[in-house]
Amino acid sequence: MKNVAIVACGLAPFGVRKATWRELVQEASKAVFDDVQNLDKKDIDSLFVGAAMPERFAFQSHVAPLVAEQVGIVPHKVVTRTELACSSGQSAVRTAWASIVTGLSDIALCLGVEKMNMPNMLETQTSMACVLEREWDGVQGASAPPFFAMCAQRHMHEYGTTVEQMAMVSEKNHHFSTTNPYAQFQKEIPAEKVLGSPMIAPPLRLFDCSGITDGAAAVILTSEERAKEFTDVPTYIIGSGQCSMASNLANYKSLSTWHPLKIAAKEAYRSAKIGPMDLDFAEVHDCFTISEIIEYEDAGFCEKGEGGKFIEEGQSNIGGKMPINTRGGLLGTGHPLGATGIGQIVEIMQQFRSTVPKERLVDGAEMAMAHNLSGAANVHSILVFGRSPR
Amino acid sequence: MTTIVLPYMLDFYPLQDEDNTRIHQFYASLREGKLTTTKCKDCGGLFWPPRVACPGCNSDQFEWVELPDEGELYAFTAMLLGAPLGMEKDVPFVLGMVQLDGTEFKVLSRIGNTKYEDCSLGMRVKLETYELEDGRVWFRFVPAD
Repeated sequence: MKNVAIVACGLAPFGVRKATWRELVQEASKAVFDDVQNLDKKDIDSLFVGAAMPERFAFQSHVAPLVAEQVGIVPHKVVTRTELACSSGQSAVRTAWASIVTGLSDIALCLGVEKMNMPNMLETQTSMACVLEREWDGVQGASAPPFFAMCAQRHMHEYGTTVEQMAMVSEKNHHFSTTNPYAQFQKEIPAEKVLGSPMIAPPLRLFDCSGITDGAAAVILTSEERAKEFTDVPTYIIGSGQCSMASNLANYKSLSTWHPLKIAAKEAYRSAKIGPMDLDFAEVHDCFTISEIIEYEDAGFCEKGEGGKFIEEGQSNIGGKMPINTRGGLLGTGHPLGATGIGQIVEIMQQFRSTVPKERLVDGAEMAMAHNLSGAANVHSILVFGRSPR
Repeated sequence: MTTIVLPYMLDFYPLQDEDNTRIHQFYASLREGKLTTTKCKDCGGLFWPPRVACPGCNSDQFEWVELPDEGELYAFTAMLLGAPLGMEKDVPFVLGMVQLDGTEFKVLSRIGNTKYEDCSLGMRVKLETYELEDGRVWFRFVPAD
Protein backbone atom coordinates (compact mmCIF):
# COMPACT_ATOMS: atom_id res chain seq x y z
CA MET A 1 0.00 0.00 0.00
CA LYS A 2 1.19 3.49 -0.88
CA ASN A 3 2.75 5.47 1.97
CA VAL A 4 1.09 8.74 2.87
CA ALA A 5 2.68 11.61 4.77
CA ILE A 6 1.54 14.67 6.62
CA VAL A 7 3.65 17.57 5.40
CA ALA A 8 2.23 20.59 7.22
CA CYS A 9 0.15 21.41 10.27
CA GLY A 10 -1.47 24.43 11.87
CA LEU A 11 -3.78 25.42 14.69
CA ALA A 12 -6.21 28.15 15.59
CA PRO A 13 -6.04 28.80 19.35
CA PHE A 14 -8.57 26.65 21.26
CA GLY A 15 -10.82 28.30 23.85
CA VAL A 16 -13.89 30.43 24.30
CA ARG A 17 -13.11 32.44 21.21
CA LYS A 18 -14.43 35.83 20.21
CA ALA A 19 -14.57 34.55 16.66
CA THR A 20 -17.08 32.91 14.31
CA TRP A 21 -16.95 29.43 12.76
CA ARG A 22 -15.61 30.81 9.46
CA GLU A 23 -13.01 32.94 11.23
CA LEU A 24 -11.66 29.86 13.02
CA VAL A 25 -11.41 28.18 9.60
CA GLN A 26 -9.35 31.09 8.27
CA GLU A 27 -7.02 31.04 11.29
CA ALA A 28 -6.24 27.33 10.91
CA SER A 29 -5.83 27.77 7.17
CA LYS A 30 -3.36 30.61 7.63
CA ALA A 31 -1.41 28.56 10.17
CA VAL A 32 -1.12 25.48 7.94
CA PHE A 33 -0.11 27.45 4.84
CA ASP A 34 2.43 29.42 6.88
CA ASP A 35 3.89 26.05 7.88
CA VAL A 36 4.28 24.53 4.43
CA GLN A 37 7.09 25.26 2.02
CA ASN A 38 6.95 25.24 -1.81
CA LEU A 39 3.22 24.57 -2.06
CA ASP A 40 1.01 26.41 -4.50
CA LYS A 41 -2.60 26.34 -3.30
CA LYS A 42 -3.61 25.37 -6.85
CA ASP A 43 -1.95 22.00 -6.31
CA ILE A 44 -4.36 21.03 -3.54
CA ASP A 45 -6.83 18.82 -5.37
CA SER A 46 -8.86 17.56 -2.41
CA LEU A 47 -10.49 18.96 0.71
CA PHE A 48 -11.82 17.07 3.72
CA VAL A 49 -13.58 19.10 6.41
CA GLY A 50 -14.01 17.53 9.84
CA ALA A 51 -17.03 19.11 11.51
CA ALA A 52 -19.42 17.47 13.94
CA MET A 53 -22.38 19.81 14.19
CA PRO A 54 -22.08 23.02 12.19
CA GLU A 55 -25.85 22.74 11.58
CA ARG A 56 -26.40 23.13 15.30
CA PHE A 57 -23.54 25.36 16.37
CA ALA A 58 -23.24 27.65 13.34
CA PHE A 59 -26.60 27.00 11.56
CA GLN A 60 -24.64 26.03 8.49
CA SER A 61 -24.67 22.90 6.37
CA HIS A 62 -22.75 22.17 3.13
CA VAL A 63 -19.63 23.45 4.83
CA ALA A 64 -16.92 22.03 2.54
CA PRO A 65 -17.42 24.62 -0.25
CA LEU A 66 -17.56 27.36 2.37
CA VAL A 67 -14.21 26.22 3.72
CA ALA A 68 -12.74 25.93 0.21
CA GLU A 69 -13.66 29.53 -0.53
CA GLN A 70 -12.40 30.84 2.83
CA VAL A 71 -9.12 29.01 2.31
CA GLY A 72 -8.77 30.00 -1.34
CA ILE A 73 -8.65 26.61 -3.05
CA VAL A 74 -10.57 24.92 -5.86
CA PRO A 75 -10.54 21.25 -4.93
CA HIS A 76 -11.22 19.21 -8.06
CA LYS A 77 -10.69 15.57 -7.07
CA VAL A 78 -12.53 15.16 -3.77
CA VAL A 79 -14.41 17.71 -1.70
CA THR A 80 -16.39 16.55 1.29
CA ARG A 81 -17.12 16.83 4.98
CA THR A 82 -16.69 14.01 7.46
CA GLU A 83 -18.92 13.68 10.52
CA LEU A 84 -18.28 11.22 13.30
CA ALA A 85 -19.10 13.35 16.33
CA CYS A 86 -15.98 13.67 18.49
CA SER A 87 -13.89 11.83 15.86
CA SER A 88 -14.92 14.03 12.93
CA GLY A 89 -11.40 15.48 12.64
CA GLN A 90 -9.59 12.16 12.54
CA SER A 91 -12.23 10.97 10.06
CA ALA A 92 -11.17 13.74 7.68
CA VAL A 93 -7.56 12.55 7.86
CA ARG A 94 -8.51 8.87 7.53
CA THR A 95 -10.58 9.65 4.44
CA ALA A 96 -7.85 11.82 2.89
CA TRP A 97 -5.33 9.06 3.57
CA ALA A 98 -7.52 6.51 1.79
CA SER A 99 -8.01 8.87 -1.13
CA ILE A 100 -4.26 9.36 -1.56
CA VAL A 101 -3.57 5.64 -1.16
CA THR A 102 -5.90 4.88 -4.05
CA GLY A 103 -4.28 7.55 -6.21
CA LEU A 104 -7.50 9.53 -6.50
CA SER A 105 -6.06 12.51 -4.62
CA ASP A 106 -2.54 13.86 -4.84
CA ILE A 107 -2.47 16.63 -2.23
CA ALA A 108 -5.25 16.99 0.34
CA LEU A 109 -6.09 19.61 2.92
CA CYS A 110 -7.82 18.35 6.07
CA LEU A 111 -9.37 21.02 8.23
CA GLY A 112 -11.25 20.30 11.45
CA VAL A 113 -13.34 22.96 13.11
CA GLU A 114 -16.04 23.47 15.73
CA LYS A 115 -17.60 26.57 17.21
CA MET A 116 -19.36 25.39 20.37
CA ASN A 117 -19.69 28.44 22.60
CA MET A 118 -22.96 30.17 21.83
CA PRO A 119 -24.79 33.10 23.43
CA ASN A 120 -27.19 30.57 24.99
CA MET A 121 -25.19 27.56 26.24
CA LEU A 122 -28.42 25.63 26.76
CA GLU A 123 -28.48 25.25 22.97
CA THR A 124 -25.01 23.70 23.03
CA GLN A 125 -25.99 21.30 25.79
CA THR A 126 -29.14 20.33 23.94
CA SER A 127 -27.22 19.64 20.75
CA MET A 128 -24.67 17.52 22.61
CA ALA A 129 -27.50 15.27 23.81
CA CYS A 130 -28.27 14.25 20.21
CA VAL A 131 -24.83 12.65 19.87
CA LEU A 132 -26.34 9.73 21.78
CA GLU A 133 -29.44 7.96 20.41
CA ARG A 134 -31.77 10.89 20.85
CA GLU A 135 -35.10 9.01 20.69
CA TRP A 136 -34.22 6.40 23.31
CA ASP A 137 -31.24 7.61 25.36
CA GLY A 138 -30.99 11.37 24.84
CA VAL A 139 -34.70 11.66 25.59
CA GLN A 140 -34.09 10.40 29.13
CA GLY A 141 -31.71 13.30 29.73
CA ALA A 142 -28.53 11.41 28.99
CA SER A 143 -25.54 13.11 27.42
CA ALA A 144 -21.80 12.62 27.68
CA PRO A 145 -21.20 13.39 31.40
CA PRO A 146 -23.78 10.91 32.77
CA PHE A 147 -22.64 8.20 30.37
CA PHE A 148 -18.97 8.51 31.33
CA ALA A 149 -20.00 8.86 34.98
CA MET A 150 -21.57 5.41 34.77
CA CYS A 151 -18.40 4.06 33.11
CA ALA A 152 -16.46 5.46 36.07
CA GLN A 153 -18.88 3.91 38.56
CA ARG A 154 -18.53 0.47 36.96
CA HIS A 155 -14.73 0.76 36.68
CA MET A 156 -14.50 1.76 40.34
CA HIS A 157 -16.84 -1.08 41.29
CA GLU A 158 -15.09 -3.77 39.25
CA TYR A 159 -11.43 -2.75 39.62
CA GLY A 160 -11.21 -0.49 42.65
CA THR A 161 -10.26 2.61 40.66
CA THR A 162 -10.52 5.75 42.80
CA VAL A 163 -11.62 9.34 42.28
CA GLU A 164 -8.13 10.37 43.43
CA GLN A 165 -6.58 8.42 40.54
CA MET A 166 -9.03 10.05 38.13
CA ALA A 167 -8.07 13.48 39.49
CA MET A 168 -4.40 12.69 38.77
CA VAL A 169 -5.22 12.35 35.07
CA SER A 170 -6.70 15.85 35.11
CA GLU A 171 -3.70 17.23 37.02
CA LYS A 172 -1.24 15.69 34.53
CA ASN A 173 -3.04 16.92 31.42
CA HIS A 174 -3.60 20.41 32.83
CA HIS A 175 0.10 20.49 33.69
CA PHE A 176 1.00 19.68 30.09
CA SER A 177 -1.39 22.34 28.78
CA THR A 178 0.45 25.02 30.76
CA THR A 179 3.14 24.56 28.08
CA ASN A 180 0.63 25.00 25.26
CA PRO A 181 -0.33 28.54 24.23
CA TYR A 182 -3.03 27.07 21.97
CA ALA A 183 -4.80 25.38 24.92
CA GLN A 184 -8.10 26.50 26.42
CA PHE A 185 -6.80 25.96 29.98
CA GLN A 186 -3.26 27.08 30.75
CA LYS A 187 -3.27 26.94 34.54
CA GLU A 188 -2.21 24.13 36.84
CA ILE A 189 -5.14 22.19 38.32
CA PRO A 190 -3.80 20.14 41.24
CA ALA A 191 -5.65 16.93 42.07
CA GLU A 192 -7.08 18.50 45.26
CA LYS A 193 -8.70 21.21 43.16
CA VAL A 194 -10.24 18.58 40.86
CA LEU A 195 -11.66 16.79 43.89
CA GLY A 196 -13.07 20.05 45.26
CA SER A 197 -14.68 21.20 42.00
CA PRO A 198 -18.48 21.14 41.52
CA MET A 199 -20.09 17.76 40.92
CA ILE A 200 -21.48 17.43 37.38
CA ALA A 201 -22.63 13.80 37.28
CA PRO A 202 -21.31 11.74 40.21
CA PRO A 203 -18.57 10.62 40.48
CA LEU A 204 -17.45 13.11 37.79
CA ARG A 205 -16.68 16.67 38.84
CA LEU A 206 -16.09 19.75 36.71
CA PHE A 207 -12.35 19.15 36.22
CA ASP A 208 -12.94 15.50 35.34
CA CYS A 209 -14.61 16.83 32.19
CA SER A 210 -13.14 18.41 29.07
CA GLY A 211 -14.37 21.88 28.18
CA ILE A 212 -16.79 23.27 25.65
CA THR A 213 -14.41 24.72 23.14
CA ASP A 214 -14.08 26.70 19.93
CA GLY A 215 -11.13 25.81 17.74
CA ALA A 216 -9.76 24.65 14.42
CA ALA A 217 -6.79 22.63 13.20
CA ALA A 218 -5.44 21.68 9.79
CA VAL A 219 -2.96 19.33 8.14
CA ILE A 220 -1.86 18.73 4.55
CA LEU A 221 -1.35 15.19 3.25
CA THR A 222 0.39 13.83 0.20
CA SER A 223 2.18 10.70 -0.97
CA GLU A 224 5.62 9.65 0.27
CA GLU A 225 7.01 10.41 -3.19
CA ARG A 226 6.13 14.09 -2.95
CA ALA A 227 6.43 14.64 0.80
CA LYS A 228 9.99 15.97 0.88
CA GLU A 229 9.04 18.77 -1.53
CA PHE A 230 7.02 20.35 1.23
CA THR A 231 8.78 19.61 4.53
CA ASP A 232 12.07 18.25 5.83
CA VAL A 233 10.31 16.10 8.43
CA PRO A 234 7.18 14.41 7.10
CA THR A 235 4.99 12.40 9.47
CA TYR A 236 3.95 9.10 7.91
CA ILE A 237 0.72 7.22 8.50
CA ILE A 238 1.84 3.66 9.24
CA GLY A 239 -1.22 1.97 10.71
CA SER A 240 -4.94 2.26 11.30
CA GLY A 241 -7.81 0.64 13.15
CA GLN A 242 -11.41 1.60 13.69
CA CYS A 243 -14.43 -0.16 15.15
CA SER A 244 -18.08 0.64 15.83
CA MET A 245 -20.04 -1.55 18.23
CA ALA A 246 -23.61 -0.84 19.41
CA SER A 247 -25.39 2.47 19.53
CA ASN A 248 -28.27 2.16 21.95
CA LEU A 249 -26.87 1.92 25.48
CA ALA A 250 -29.08 -1.09 26.17
CA ASN A 251 -26.89 -3.14 23.84
CA TYR A 252 -23.51 -2.48 25.49
CA LYS A 253 -21.59 -5.51 26.68
CA SER A 254 -19.69 -3.48 29.25
CA LEU A 255 -19.07 0.07 30.42
CA SER A 256 -15.70 -0.64 32.03
CA THR A 257 -14.13 -2.48 29.07
CA TRP A 258 -14.40 -0.74 25.74
CA HIS A 259 -14.50 -3.69 23.34
CA PRO A 260 -14.48 -1.58 20.14
CA LEU A 261 -11.27 0.06 21.37
CA LYS A 262 -9.65 -3.34 21.88
CA ILE A 263 -10.59 -4.32 18.32
CA ALA A 264 -9.44 -1.01 16.80
CA ALA A 265 -6.14 -1.11 18.71
CA LYS A 266 -5.43 -4.69 17.70
CA GLU A 267 -5.94 -3.82 14.04
CA ALA A 268 -3.90 -0.61 14.33
CA TYR A 269 -0.92 -2.47 15.80
CA ARG A 270 -1.27 -5.35 13.33
CA SER A 271 -1.31 -3.02 10.35
CA ALA A 272 1.66 -1.04 11.68
CA LYS A 273 3.44 -4.31 12.49
CA ILE A 274 4.14 -3.19 16.06
CA GLY A 275 3.03 -3.88 19.60
CA PRO A 276 1.52 -1.17 21.80
CA MET A 277 4.73 -0.60 23.75
CA ASP A 278 6.68 0.09 20.54
CA LEU A 279 4.97 3.47 20.48
CA ASP A 280 7.00 6.30 22.02
CA PHE A 281 3.95 8.31 23.08
CA ALA A 282 0.22 8.50 22.41
CA GLU A 283 -2.53 11.05 22.04
CA VAL A 284 -5.68 9.46 23.47
CA HIS A 285 -9.21 10.77 23.85
CA ASP A 286 -9.47 12.02 27.44
CA CYS A 287 -12.91 13.61 27.12
CA PHE A 288 -13.24 12.62 30.79
CA THR A 289 -10.58 11.47 33.25
CA ILE A 290 -12.05 7.97 33.39
CA SER A 291 -11.74 7.71 29.59
CA GLU A 292 -7.96 8.00 29.74
CA ILE A 293 -7.76 5.34 32.47
CA ILE A 294 -9.86 2.86 30.48
CA GLU A 295 -7.83 3.68 27.35
CA TYR A 296 -4.51 2.85 29.07
CA GLU A 297 -5.95 -0.62 29.56
CA ASP A 298 -7.87 -1.31 26.39
CA ALA A 299 -5.21 0.20 24.10
CA GLY A 300 -2.79 -2.24 25.72
CA PHE A 301 -0.47 0.03 27.71
CA CYS A 302 -1.21 -1.85 30.96
CA GLU A 303 -3.17 -4.86 32.21
CA LYS A 304 -6.96 -4.67 32.51
CA GLY A 305 -7.94 -3.01 35.76
CA GLU A 306 -4.56 -1.39 36.32
CA GLY A 307 -5.25 1.95 34.64
CA GLY A 308 -5.60 3.68 38.00
CA LYS A 309 -2.23 2.35 39.10
CA PHE A 310 -0.71 3.40 35.76
CA ILE A 311 -1.47 7.10 36.37
CA GLU A 312 -0.63 6.84 40.07
CA GLU A 313 2.85 5.50 39.24
CA GLY A 314 3.42 8.26 36.69
CA GLN A 315 3.64 5.79 33.81
CA SER A 316 1.68 8.12 31.51
CA ASN A 317 3.98 11.04 32.19
CA ILE A 318 7.18 11.88 30.33
CA GLY A 319 9.77 9.40 31.60
CA GLY A 320 7.06 6.79 32.25
CA LYS A 321 6.24 3.73 30.16
CA MET A 322 3.96 5.63 27.76
CA PRO A 323 3.72 9.43 27.81
CA ILE A 324 0.08 10.32 27.14
CA ASN A 325 -1.44 13.57 25.92
CA THR A 326 1.63 15.78 26.03
CA ARG A 327 -0.18 18.76 24.47
CA GLY A 328 -2.62 18.70 27.40
CA GLY A 329 -5.23 16.31 26.10
CA LEU A 330 -8.86 17.27 25.74
CA LEU A 331 -8.95 18.05 29.45
CA GLY A 332 -6.31 20.76 29.16
CA THR A 333 -6.55 21.83 25.54
CA GLY A 334 -10.32 21.74 25.23
CA HIS A 335 -12.49 19.68 22.91
CA PRO A 336 -13.73 21.46 19.79
CA LEU A 337 -15.23 18.25 18.35
CA GLY A 338 -14.22 18.50 14.69
CA ALA A 339 -10.82 20.03 15.49
CA THR A 340 -9.76 17.64 18.26
CA GLY A 341 -8.52 14.73 16.16
CA ILE A 342 -6.46 16.99 13.91
CA GLY A 343 -5.12 18.92 16.93
CA GLN A 344 -3.75 15.62 18.25
CA ILE A 345 -2.03 14.93 14.93
CA VAL A 346 -0.51 18.43 14.99
CA GLU A 347 1.08 17.51 18.34
CA ILE A 348 2.47 14.27 16.93
CA MET A 349 4.00 16.07 13.95
CA GLN A 350 5.50 18.78 16.16
CA GLN A 351 6.91 16.14 18.51
CA PHE A 352 8.57 14.38 15.57
CA ARG A 353 9.97 17.73 14.44
CA SER A 354 11.08 18.52 18.03
CA THR A 355 9.35 21.89 17.85
CA VAL A 356 7.21 21.51 20.99
CA PRO A 357 8.45 23.23 24.19
CA LYS A 358 11.14 21.07 25.77
CA GLU A 359 9.11 20.55 28.99
CA ARG A 360 6.81 18.27 27.00
CA LEU A 361 9.19 16.91 24.37
CA VAL A 362 9.41 13.13 24.04
CA ASP A 363 13.00 13.12 22.93
CA GLY A 364 13.84 10.98 19.91
CA ALA A 365 10.29 9.74 19.39
CA GLU A 366 9.86 7.64 16.26
CA MET A 367 6.30 6.31 16.55
CA ALA A 368 3.06 7.54 18.08
CA MET A 369 -0.67 7.06 17.82
CA ALA A 370 -3.72 9.29 17.82
CA HIS A 371 -6.89 7.82 19.29
CA ASN A 372 -10.40 9.21 19.34
CA LEU A 373 -13.57 7.80 20.68
CA SER A 374 -16.89 9.20 19.59
CA GLY A 375 -20.38 9.31 21.02
CA ALA A 376 -20.82 7.09 24.05
CA ALA A 377 -17.45 5.40 23.41
CA ASN A 378 -19.09 3.07 20.88
CA VAL A 379 -16.73 4.07 18.07
CA HIS A 380 -12.96 4.08 18.43
CA SER A 381 -10.60 5.38 15.75
CA ILE A 382 -6.83 5.02 15.76
CA LEU A 383 -4.12 6.18 13.40
CA VAL A 384 -0.47 5.21 13.95
CA PHE A 385 2.26 7.58 12.81
CA GLY A 386 5.98 7.19 12.22
CA ARG A 387 8.91 9.50 11.52
CA SER A 388 9.81 6.93 8.86
CA PRO A 389 7.55 5.26 6.30
CA ARG A 390 6.61 1.61 6.76
CA MET B 1 -54.43 17.75 21.00
CA THR B 2 -50.71 17.69 20.35
CA THR B 3 -49.04 20.89 21.51
CA ILE B 4 -45.33 20.71 20.90
CA VAL B 5 -43.81 23.54 22.87
CA LEU B 6 -40.32 23.18 21.48
CA PRO B 7 -39.66 23.34 17.74
CA TYR B 8 -39.91 19.78 16.47
CA MET B 9 -36.18 19.44 15.83
CA LEU B 10 -35.42 20.23 19.47
CA ASP B 11 -38.11 17.92 20.85
CA PHE B 12 -36.44 14.86 22.32
CA TYR B 13 -39.54 12.67 22.41
CA PRO B 14 -40.33 10.51 19.38
CA LEU B 15 -43.46 11.03 17.31
CA GLN B 16 -45.61 8.07 18.26
CA ASP B 17 -48.71 7.74 16.09
CA GLU B 18 -49.19 5.65 12.99
CA ASP B 19 -48.83 8.66 10.69
CA ASN B 20 -45.26 9.05 11.87
CA THR B 21 -43.80 5.68 12.81
CA ARG B 22 -44.20 2.04 11.92
CA ILE B 23 -43.61 1.00 15.55
CA HIS B 24 -46.69 2.86 16.83
CA GLN B 25 -47.73 -0.39 18.52
CA PHE B 26 -44.85 0.06 20.96
CA TYR B 27 -46.35 3.32 22.18
CA ALA B 28 -49.88 1.91 22.25
CA SER B 29 -48.65 -0.91 24.50
CA LEU B 30 -46.69 1.55 26.63
CA ARG B 31 -49.95 3.41 27.21
CA GLU B 32 -51.27 0.16 28.71
CA GLY B 33 -48.25 0.00 31.00
CA LYS B 34 -46.35 -2.60 28.97
CA LEU B 35 -42.76 -2.39 27.72
CA THR B 36 -42.60 -4.34 24.47
CA THR B 37 -40.27 -4.95 21.59
CA THR B 38 -40.09 -6.83 18.32
CA LYS B 39 -39.11 -10.48 17.97
CA CYS B 40 -38.14 -11.75 14.53
CA LYS B 41 -40.51 -14.53 13.40
CA ASP B 42 -37.83 -16.07 11.19
CA CYS B 43 -34.66 -16.15 13.30
CA GLY B 44 -36.12 -15.48 16.74
CA GLY B 45 -33.86 -12.49 17.27
CA LEU B 46 -34.99 -10.14 19.99
CA PHE B 47 -33.86 -6.54 19.54
CA TRP B 48 -34.05 -3.33 21.47
CA PRO B 49 -35.28 -0.87 20.36
CA PRO B 50 -38.05 -2.29 18.11
CA ARG B 51 -37.23 -2.85 14.43
CA VAL B 52 -38.98 -3.01 11.09
CA ALA B 53 -36.19 -5.04 9.42
CA CYS B 54 -34.22 -7.76 11.16
CA PRO B 55 -30.50 -6.92 11.48
CA GLY B 56 -29.86 -10.62 12.06
CA CYS B 57 -31.55 -12.42 9.13
CA ASN B 58 -33.01 -9.63 7.00
CA SER B 59 -36.60 -10.70 7.60
CA ASP B 60 -39.34 -8.13 8.00
CA GLN B 61 -41.73 -10.44 9.85
CA PHE B 62 -42.00 -9.59 13.53
CA GLU B 63 -44.20 -10.25 16.50
CA TRP B 64 -44.57 -7.97 19.48
CA VAL B 65 -43.40 -9.46 22.76
CA GLU B 66 -43.62 -8.07 26.25
CA LEU B 67 -40.35 -7.38 28.08
CA PRO B 68 -40.00 -7.88 31.83
CA ASP B 69 -41.15 -4.82 33.74
CA GLU B 70 -38.54 -5.27 36.44
CA GLY B 71 -34.81 -5.32 36.58
CA GLU B 72 -31.82 -4.13 38.54
CA LEU B 73 -29.54 -1.12 38.36
CA TYR B 74 -26.40 -2.00 36.40
CA ALA B 75 -25.11 1.57 36.71
CA PHE B 76 -26.50 4.94 37.73
CA THR B 77 -25.61 8.59 38.12
CA ALA B 78 -27.38 11.90 38.46
CA MET B 79 -27.62 14.91 36.19
CA LEU B 80 -26.74 17.89 38.36
CA LEU B 81 -25.69 20.48 35.77
CA GLY B 82 -26.06 20.90 32.03
CA ALA B 83 -29.43 19.28 31.26
CA PRO B 84 -30.82 19.95 27.79
CA LEU B 85 -33.59 22.33 26.85
CA GLY B 86 -36.95 21.25 28.25
CA MET B 87 -35.35 19.23 31.06
CA GLU B 88 -33.82 22.05 33.11
CA LYS B 89 -36.72 21.96 35.57
CA ASP B 90 -36.11 18.26 36.26
CA VAL B 91 -32.56 18.79 37.62
CA PRO B 92 -31.33 17.04 39.68
CA PHE B 93 -32.50 13.70 38.32
CA VAL B 94 -31.19 10.14 38.49
CA LEU B 95 -30.28 8.20 35.35
CA GLY B 96 -29.59 4.50 35.34
CA MET B 97 -29.04 1.52 33.12
CA VAL B 98 -31.62 -1.10 34.03
CA GLN B 99 -30.66 -4.70 33.35
CA LEU B 100 -34.09 -6.14 32.49
CA ASP B 101 -34.66 -9.48 34.18
CA GLY B 102 -33.70 -12.44 32.03
CA THR B 103 -32.53 -10.31 29.09
CA GLU B 104 -29.28 -8.87 27.78
CA PHE B 105 -30.78 -5.38 27.64
CA LYS B 106 -29.52 -2.61 29.90
CA VAL B 107 -32.14 0.01 29.12
CA LEU B 108 -31.19 3.58 29.94
CA SER B 109 -33.90 5.31 31.91
CA ARG B 110 -34.73 8.02 34.36
CA ILE B 111 -34.97 6.52 37.82
CA GLY B 112 -37.86 8.29 39.51
CA ASN B 113 -39.14 8.50 43.12
CA THR B 114 -35.62 8.41 44.52
CA LYS B 115 -32.43 10.37 45.05
CA TYR B 116 -28.93 9.51 43.86
CA GLU B 117 -27.82 9.00 47.46
CA ASP B 118 -30.53 6.38 48.00
CA CYS B 119 -29.64 4.26 44.95
CA SER B 120 -27.21 1.35 44.88
CA LEU B 121 -25.84 -1.05 42.27
CA GLY B 122 -28.15 -4.02 41.91
CA MET B 123 -31.13 -2.13 43.34
CA ARG B 124 -34.47 -3.56 42.15
CA VAL B 125 -36.51 -1.23 39.96
CA LYS B 126 -39.83 -1.54 38.15
CA LEU B 127 -41.37 0.09 35.10
CA GLU B 128 -43.63 3.10 35.38
CA THR B 129 -45.30 4.73 32.41
CA TYR B 130 -46.67 8.25 32.27
CA GLU B 131 -48.32 10.71 29.96
CA LEU B 132 -46.43 13.74 28.65
CA GLU B 133 -48.09 17.14 28.77
CA ASP B 134 -49.05 16.91 25.10
CA GLY B 135 -50.62 13.47 25.43
CA ARG B 136 -47.72 11.34 24.24
CA VAL B 137 -46.58 8.53 26.52
CA TRP B 138 -43.18 7.69 28.00
CA PHE B 139 -41.57 5.47 30.62
CA ARG B 140 -39.16 5.48 33.51
CA PHE B 141 -38.20 3.09 36.27
CA VAL B 142 -38.78 3.54 39.99
CA PRO B 143 -37.60 1.56 43.05
CA ALA B 144 -39.49 -1.75 43.22
CA ASP B 145 -40.11 -1.67 46.97
